[in-house]
Amino acid sequence: MTPGNSTRLSGSFRDPSGFLFYREQILYRQINQSYRDHYDLLMSSGLYRELTEAGMLIPHEEVHIVPTDPDLAYTTIRPETIPFISYPYEWCFGQLKDAALTTLAIQKAALAHGMVLKDASAYNIQFHEGRPVLIDTLSFETYHEGRPWVAYRQFCQHFLAPLALMSYLDVRLGQLLRIHLDGIPLDLAATLLPKRTRFSFPLLTNIHLHAKSQRHYESKPVTSDRQMKRQGLMGLIDNLESAIGRLNWKPEDTVWADYYEITNYSDQANRHKTELVRAYAQKAGAKTIWDLGANDGTFSRAAAHEGASVVAFDFDPAAVEKNYRACRQNHDAQILPLLLDLTNPSPGIGWSHTERMSFIERGPVDLVLALALVHHLAIGNNVPFDQLAAFFAATCRWLVIEFVPKNDSQVKRMLSTREDVFDFYTGEDFERGFSAFFTIEEKSEITDSVRTLYLMNRR
Amino acid sequence: MRYLANISGLILCAAVIMLFWAETAQAYIDPSSGSYFLQILLAGLLGALFTLKIYWRKIKAFFSGKDADHDAGQ
Repeated sequence: MTPGNSTRLSGSFRDPSGFLFYREQILYRQINQSYRDHYDLLMSSGLYRELTEAGMLIPHEEVHIVPTDPDLAYTTIRPETIPFISYPYEWCFGQLKDAALTTLAIQKAALAHGMVLKDASAYNIQFHEGRPVLIDTLSFETYHEGRPWVAYRQFCQHFLAPLALMSYLDVRLGQLLRIHLDGIPLDLAATLLPKRTRFSFPLLTNIHLHAKSQRHYESKPVTSDRQMKRQGLMGLIDNLESAIGRLNWKPEDTVWADYYEITNYSDQANRHKTELVRAYAQKAGAKTIWDLGANDGTFSRAAAHEGASVVAFDFDPAAVEKNYRACRQNHDAQILPLLLDLTNPSPGIGWSHTERMSFIERGPVDLVLALALVHHLAIGNNVPFDQLAAFFAATCRWLVIEFVPKNDSQVKRMLSTREDVFDFYTGEDFERGFSAFFTIEEKSEITDSVRTLYLMNRR
Repeated sequence: MRYLANISGLILCAAVIMLFWAETAQAYIDPSSGSYFLQILLAGLLGALFTLKIYWRKIKAFFSGKDADHDAGQ
């Protein structure tokens, strides 16, 4: 193999310690000479072993291949593959909180081995096998007593500020992370947070005073000082842990909570739908599944029965939070719940639009589940069937889709407050629109309901 | 609120004095001067509180018979 086969990852350019690249569809990380001492210490100090055994750092193996940039290279590693890359603006409150606490736990472990985190980006954390894991092996550097934590600002902007805003004001403010790629500016968080947060010592120090201090020293040279003793740094980490630990958000307190208790399915219909979803997923032989509009993940679990991994998307933060809590409680590593508004899915953002991938870029997958979804997109968002079909064809090979007709109580409710301009919304039009992109393999009316479930195969 | 503003003003003045003992830092991310100075400023207080917390846990552990180091955080 020659370096000519390599493709560098577009988002891997900030840290001069190394970079990620693909070769023969395998992901590698080149470690540069400039990072040599830090990498050797990570491996020899016992820190790597401790963190990988605890499931907090992605394991890797050193490989002997021709480096992509031989002039800079020290060594090349092959990290374990993460099947689906997600971003902080797609996480629910609980996921961001767990990612923050994991980052602090890693920082404490690093200090115990004479190292420190040199960055604390939320994008360095991924959910792998049901738990948050640090994927950037180059995030550590040798600790020099006396130096303040270089990633303190980044930690507060990526984790503490969004969690505080979500907890104190509105959980939807987590979406500010989609606009502010390097975390929410602390002066913005301090302005938005209620005044009472100044009486919380961790929030007073890490958000309000922090924002004031940043404003005061703006444009002044970055300096370090020998005065910050190790115990002071431990105190800072402990203070941040207290700040994060005290922040909570309960989906039960929101206006959405009751909505999910109301379904227009009888037990019999639910059972039949579950059996059909399981049978269709098996017939498709799907190993990778996206459940779009997954709600609390009931049908994601049915589809995941045969060992497939499922990313369960929903636009409702309460549903995603409930799903995530259930996964944690049941140690369900097959399901990854994520927040996504299908009418405005995650775009490619950051430098040159390629630093963070769009939703569609992360596919296609073997199977998409689109259950109780079509009416929300076709009537709620006025998307014609042919455009819906084109979208699904770009995301999957197999499609399990539920058609909800106009005489269904949910559709009646949607149309009760607006003019019915949806003459195209019939079962025949639905099949015609989707047949341009898919072959209908199976079709079954769901018992004790007016809905129909289809299994389709992309043409 | 005015009381808190006075405290934060004093804290920032003290941080200005610390500039005299400062040296240049190396980092690929922007650590922000204000974030650096705030840490230096709070280090003494947070370090002392953390030490007290550990000793308090040890005292509690002595009377309860549990392992104090288990969640002492270091």
